[in-house]
Amino acid sequence: MASEDGSASQEVENEGDNGGVRELHANGNTMKTAEVEAKLDEGNIQEAESSLREGLSLNYEDCLSGVDRSLEMGVVKICKIANGHANGQIVCDDCTMEARALLGRLEYQRGNLEAALRVFDGIDLQAAILRLQPPSSESTSSKKGRPRSDSVTSASQHAASLVLEAIYLKAKSLQKLGKLKDAAEECKSVLDAVEKIFQQGIPDVQVDSRLQVTVSQAVELLPELWKKAGCYSEAITAYRRALLSQWNLSNECCARIQKEFAVFLLHGGVEAGPPSLAAQVDGSYVPKNNLEEAVLLLMILIRKFNLGKIKWDPSVMEHLKFALSLCGQTSVLSKQLEEIMPGVFHRIDRWNTLALCCSGMGQNKAALNVLRKSLHKHERPDNILALLLAAKICSEDSYLAEEGVGYAQRAINNATGNDEHLKGVGMRLLGLCLGKQATVSSSDFERSRLQSEALKSLDGAIACEQNNPDLIFELGVLHAEQRNLNAALRYAKRFIDATGGSILKGWRLLALVLSAQQRFSEAEVVIDAALDETAKWEQGPLLRLKAKLKTFQSRPMDSIETYRYLLALVQAQKKTFGSVRSVSKAEDDRVGEYDVCEHIMPLKCVMHQGQGQVQEAICDYVNALLLDATLVPCKILIGSVLSRVDKNALPIARSILSDALRIEPTNRKAWYYLGIIHRHDGRMVDAADCFQAASMLEESDPIESFSSLL
Amino acid sequence: MSEDNSPVASPTARDDGETITAESQAKIRTAMESLSSILTPPTLPPSLLSSPNPAASLLHHHRDISCQISALLRQPESGAGDNNLCRWLYDTFQSSQPDLQLVVLRFLPTIAGLYLSRVALRKPLAGFEAVLLALYAHETTSRSGQAVTVSVPDLSHPSVYHEAKDPNPTKNNATDLNLAVISPSLEPHGTVRSTRRARIVGVALELYYSKISVMPLESKLEFCGFCRGWSGQHGDFIMYLQDSTTTATNSINNNEKQEDINSNINNDKEGSRIPLPWELLQPVLRILGNCLLGPKQDKQLFDAASAACRCLYARSLHDMDPKAILATGSLLTLSKMALDPKNRIDYTEITMSNVISI
Repeated sequence: MASEDGSASQEVENEGDNGGVRELHANGNTMKTAEVEAKLDEGNIQEAESSLREGLSLNYEDCLSGVDRSLEMGVVKICKIANGHANGQIVCDDCTMEARALLGRLEYQRGNLEAALRVFDGIDLQAAILRLQPPSSESTSSKKGRPRSDSVTSASQHAASLVLEAIYLKAKSLQKLGKLKDAAEECKSVLDAVEKIFQQGIPDVQVDSRLQVTVSQAVELLPELWKKAGCYSEAITAYRRALLSQWNLSNECCARIQKEFAVFLLHGGVEAGPPSLAAQVDGSYVPKNNLEEAVLLLMILIRKFNLGKIKWDPSVMEHLKFALSLCGQTSVLSKQLEEIMPGVFHRIDRWNTLALCCSGMGQNKAALNVLRKSLHKHERPDNILALLLAAKICSEDSYLAEEGVGYAQRAINNATGNDEHLKGVGMRLLGLCLGKQATVSSSDFERSRLQSEALKSLDGAIACEQNNPDLIFELGVLHAEQRNLNAALRYAKRFIDATGGSILKGWRLLALVLSAQQRFSEAEVVIDAALDETAKWEQGPLLRLKAKLKTFQSRPMDSIETYRYLLALVQAQKKTFGSVRSVSKAEDDRVGEYDVCEHIMPLKCVMHQGQGQVQEAICDYVNALLLDATLVPCKILIGSVLSRVDKNALPIARSILSDALRIEPTNRKAWYYLGIIHRHDGRMVDAADCFQAASMLEESDPIESFSSLL
Repeated sequence: MSEDNSPVASPTARDDGETITAESQAKIRTAMESLSSILTPPTLPPSLLSSPNPAASLLHHHRDISCQISALLRQPESGAGDNNLCRWLYDTFQSSQPDLQLVVLRFLPTIAGLYLSRVALRKPLAGFEAVLLALYAHETTSRSGQAVTVSVPDLSHPSVYHEAKDPNPTKNNATDLNLAVISPSLEPHGTVRSTRRARIVGVALELYYSKISVMPLESKLEFCGFCRGWSGQHGDFIMYLQDSTTTATNSINNNEKQEDINSNINNDKEGSRIPLPWELLQPVLRILGNCLLGPKQDKQLFDAASAACRCLYARSLHDMDPKAILATGSLLTLSKMALDPKNRIDYTEITMSNVISI
């Protein structure tokens, strides 16, 4: 724009200067600030103004000349709009306004905010809007042709940019003086004015850059002011106005506002409610609460970055990480991470975060694969977080336990300096991995070695973390598995005390240990107490225990009754919650229908068997085994039935029982029936060994395997 | 997340005496009278009683009274069923007067903090439990027991904020989106069953979070203190920890300053290590998020909340809980970023130039 070349020469940085404003430019004239500043310092705005007008020739003629000749028409037009006033007066108003805007900015830059406010107070925004506003619709109608309306836009833009900048600086001054609400009102009036003056919008190519800067800044400032002033619903409206109206914001500016809004939605503690209907386009996704809107905005920001439209802002990813892990949607988070351009994150950091995401959504295999890469000797093999996570994942799978032992040991070795406090965690995971490894060890010797090492490791861990109930629980289970029942009982009680009985598995452990000590009635008391402390939907595992306890006490009818109740509960649960329930925490503790069937089947078999219906009994066993091939009780029962049916079936029975013992070496019944088979076959020494094992175990058999607790 | 729309959206509006009905005023007066009989000396300052809304005034202005109530709550036998203060808190909340309910909520951090820490000590807790159950029941009613869910957006659908690349988007269908449960459905509970304890406190904290914009600073500071106690961790080391889960530059330059902060905060640590299942930890983290990154920026609160975050991050490492590690880790990184002057550029400031022109 020619006018800009002439009068509004853009800010030129003076070199080697102490920072203050030195010169004022207008209409091709230059003026040093010293004289004006002196007048301002005396508090004499009028005089400052007139010296400014003189110095910069701010009068009627020059006002016109200040605007490029090609725009003269536009100025005349402005005068025409405000009919009823004398032309001279209006232009004089403009001059006053120009001078005021200039003076105000001068004071603002000098940091004299109160003074700046006094100067700005003299500017009548509403009058300026009236002057600059397009005339009522009949005169904007197309009869005047296009070129003219263009020039109107340019001229009014220049005038508007002056007055709007002045009001914007008024808002900034108020902000700095801590008058946030007033500041917000002024800032809002800037945006209202822009909407009134440019009702038709401005074609992109013709936007005055100075006007655009002011508008963008006002758009960005307004919600921040409301927010700081504590007017949260106004802030939300302002954010949405900023993002849903057309302000021609730069990508960076829009991104900053989107991020600030997302942060406000996430952490503001005020529910924003969905955007107004007016903003909703048919068929488009409308966020219905804060979290949805925040996640949407953050995802949009990440996409903009991926498209190269904006600079990377690491906080965006952190906010998204927080939001999505709160929702438990780490799978979405991992997808977002994978989409981010290479080079933003170090690959190892990305892997480790991905591993956390995968593990968070239960995909431990995938998590472990990623961790193996990240812990490779050429990558970052000593990262303690990755080592611990890998060890934890391995500790849950007997076939990975050996690998986990390695990770845990490396973690312990690296738990130095600031990470020293994690040594106990490493030892705990080492103990768990060793304990798990013991369950698949090939020899008894190996097994007992691993178990005692596991115990040593957990003992070491608890020395580091005496108050960690998880550790207390794990020690209880380990002792129980090794049939140190008194120790196990102590830990089980300690765990219930430490957790205030709030964790179901504590009750189960206590009941199982008591049952292993053959203290069935006490075990039943514990289970009943636990049932009291448990809401209906989480009672499944306890009911199952109770049913088994009754079986053990030779009360099969009571037992079946309990199972029936349990099955009804499971089915009701399925009906009530459908799939939504799956996110709830109770998931691990739930008993499924299959689970109940698994237990009812053997019972039915026992009854068939008792009634001499051998074929039916075997059918039931096979059905139950089809549900779960590793079902030890069924294997034992099949073995026992087969061993009686037919001599030819003895080898099959034997292999089934051996298989059962591989899975559960401390199963008393399996040893017993294996003994019977050996006796049938005439291998008396073997039979005696088996019976001896069975009788030793009989003293310490829990009603449900201890390993089911971990 | 609460669907409850009680008129607290604008915190300042309440404060400067919105007109309250005569019925409410009567309730507030009764509540204040019975409160004064619990305090020592059994009087409330006249300035409090004469204010147009004594409940709001107690919430926002009378720190001394709040401190006294907090101190009474901390007495060893305070959680008992026959405790006067617990009874007052219960009755006051049941009055259904919104301002009075806010006063009760203000003390939730202390009640929940003490309650959960004392469970293992076998102390009488029926009084605390009654208050917590009242809050739980209120939240259950106000959302009719419904779960709070979020459908995580998917950018392939166009939204109010963006256009999708696909010109013919499939119909916006909620089933395409990932449905996440923020807070599962609520069943009514008449007593605190121990296995539901964390959930009941968690739901009470969800209610607290929904009103957090009107909660006074001290209430949030107390909350941060209990978070540190609950974690059972120091968290001091965390500030030096090279957090490998993020790329953010985590090294804190100003160690001395941090030590300073710590010595200030250590005194406020309260409570003892408790189990932190997700149903409890999640609302805790949302509250901490507000304390750290919310609109009311306060240095003291920021320091207290980031100390709490460090402790909870340490705890999540000890528990090896991936979701908790991610969430606490990102809060920690964000709080460090907030301290970085690099991130504090004011884009709304004008270019300060040597030449001003028209």
